[in-house]
Amino acid sequence: MYYGRATDKLVQEQGECGGVITAVLIAAVEQKLVDGALVIKRGESIYDGAPYFATTKEEITEAAGSLHCAPTLSAKLIKNDFNGARDLRIAVTCKPCDARAIIELSKRNQIDLDNVYMIGVNCGGTMLPERAREMIRQFFEIDPDDVVKEEIDKGKLIIITKDGQHKELSIDDLEAEGYGRRTNCQRCEYNIPRMADLACGNWGVIGEDAGKATFVEVRTEKGQKLLDTAIAAGAITLKDAPPQGIALREKLDGIMVKMARKAMATQFAQFDGEHKFERLFAQFDKCDGCRACIDVCPICSCVECFTKQEFVVPKDTVPPDAMFHLTRLMHVSPSCVNCGQCENVCPMKIPLATITHMVQSSVQGTLGYVPGQSMADAIPLSKIAEVPA
Amino acid sequence: MSQAEDATEMDEKQWEPSILTFCCNWCSYAGADGAGTARMQYPPNARVIRVMCTGRINPLFIVKAFLSGADMVMVLGCHFGDCHYLKGNYTCDMRMTYLKAYLQAIGINPERLYWDQISASEGIKFTETMHKVVSKADALGPIANELGAHAKGARQKESTHGTLACDLHENDVKLHGSTQAITADIF
Repeated sequence: MYYGRATDKLVQEQGECGGVITAVLIAAVEQKLVDGALVIKRGESIYDGAPYFATTKEEITEAAGSLHCAPTLSAKLIKNDFNGARDLRIAVTCKPCDARAIIELSKRNQIDLDNVYMIGVNCGGTMLPERAREMIRQFFEIDPDDVVKEEIDKGKLIIITKDGQHKELSIDDLEAEGYGRRTNCQRCEYNIPRMADLACGNWGVIGEDAGKATFVEVRTEKGQKLLDTAIAAGAITLKDAPPQGIALREKLDGIMVKMARKAMATQFAQFDGEHKFERLFAQFDKCDGCRACIDVCPICSCVECFTKQEFVVPKDTVPPDAMFHLTRLMHVSPSCVNCGQCENVCPMKIPLATITHMVQSSVQGTLGYVPGQSMADAIPLSKIAEVPA
Repeated sequence: MSQAEDATEMDEKQWEPSILTFCCNWCSYAGADGAGTARMQYPPNARVIRVMCTGRINPLFIVKAFLSGADMVMVLGCHFGDCHYLKGNYTCDMRMTYLKAYLQAIGINPERLYWDQISASEGIKFTETMHKVVSKADALGPIANELGAHAKGARQKESTHGTLACDLHENDVKLHGSTQAITADIF
């Protein structure tokens, strides 16, 4: 575990906390370790984070810095738009849910993981752009377009305006009002991307380095290769992280996990108890059958969807037959990575991610499977535990 | 809401549990046959669907059975090590374990699913199991209590393509001869 800094002054300025990720990406592209980098680039404002495939130093530098209003998922993009990385090598910046989704898709032979270099970034949660605008107008009493920078740190949402004003509010208070992070992010227990090749972030950077260096943890051989390439190119400098820094990072992670468990308990409570089935279907019956949830889901990767079989789900009914939701839930929930995409795209605003995550967390014990952790864990129900003699 | 309640109340007066039973061709189906030839008596609540192996049973068949009005679903397969296809019953066991957890998670009592192993020679065990499961179904009450408006009959939405039992039939899984008409009627 290291503290890293980019050597290039411009990269250091443009990048977040030392600019290691930007520097590593540039080195990887320039040294031909990868063909390009899939990054999140800022659009017109900080609310316009969008995925972007950068292939030159300039393009990567342009995309430097973090955004919190970009609830994207790169996994399905790599599968659909890059042919599962089968014929080109990609370095991709990942939130933990991106990394978990990429691993789940690789297990389903949809992505060639050998060609994907995952650079993980600590994530305390993302916000929906339009909700964030509303929130900033209402609670910070600032024109959302005046905000030039936002940061989530130590349970606070901090924004900086054009004229250098700092304002901060507690995330807990905002979330109590129904704003703040997406609900799936509130429930997320994975804040440090330990399943990625490199786990980077600003947690655990203390002393004179605070805010100026990136905490880098190497998780896999591929991660080591990325770092070695960057060091050989002279793009970054590393020094060992002090034990206090490592301890602080663990502590912050612990706090986030505790908060997530609390959020889970409160959000799942709405379905608990008597008449659970009816309460679930009070939500599901809002469905208009657009199938957008299936399109975006990083677990749904079958060519022939089982819900299209007429003997399972009778056709031409609105709302769709109950079997549509029960099939989707049964197939997706054992491996749900809680990325929240289904809930984001649902035109009827059914709390799909909440329900799927709830089912996932209650079958997890029986299956003994935590989704998106390692390629070594077999997909649930794909292998018989007890092999007959 | 009130309509559904009325329907449930009315049903409860003359309610008899209906139980869907999946029997493996090589063991429990022969076991049921054995019970029949020996003229052993067991309650008539169960409708039997023969499958070539319990490993053929998609857990969604069972979910669909509940939605179609089955109060309990039984899956009867071979003892471990006896599977005609070597490991179909291990697959089934794994799926049933998951399915129970899944049913719990979506608010259907997992007790409504009964998975057991009965061999071809165990006619007595078959009869005893039937008695046991029917009394269990009596205790659990109608499935409509849990499914609410989605219970069969409460919401008039007929499949254009027939129901589960018929579909299985179409897929070359033959129904128990004498109960075929009843099965088609109920499910």
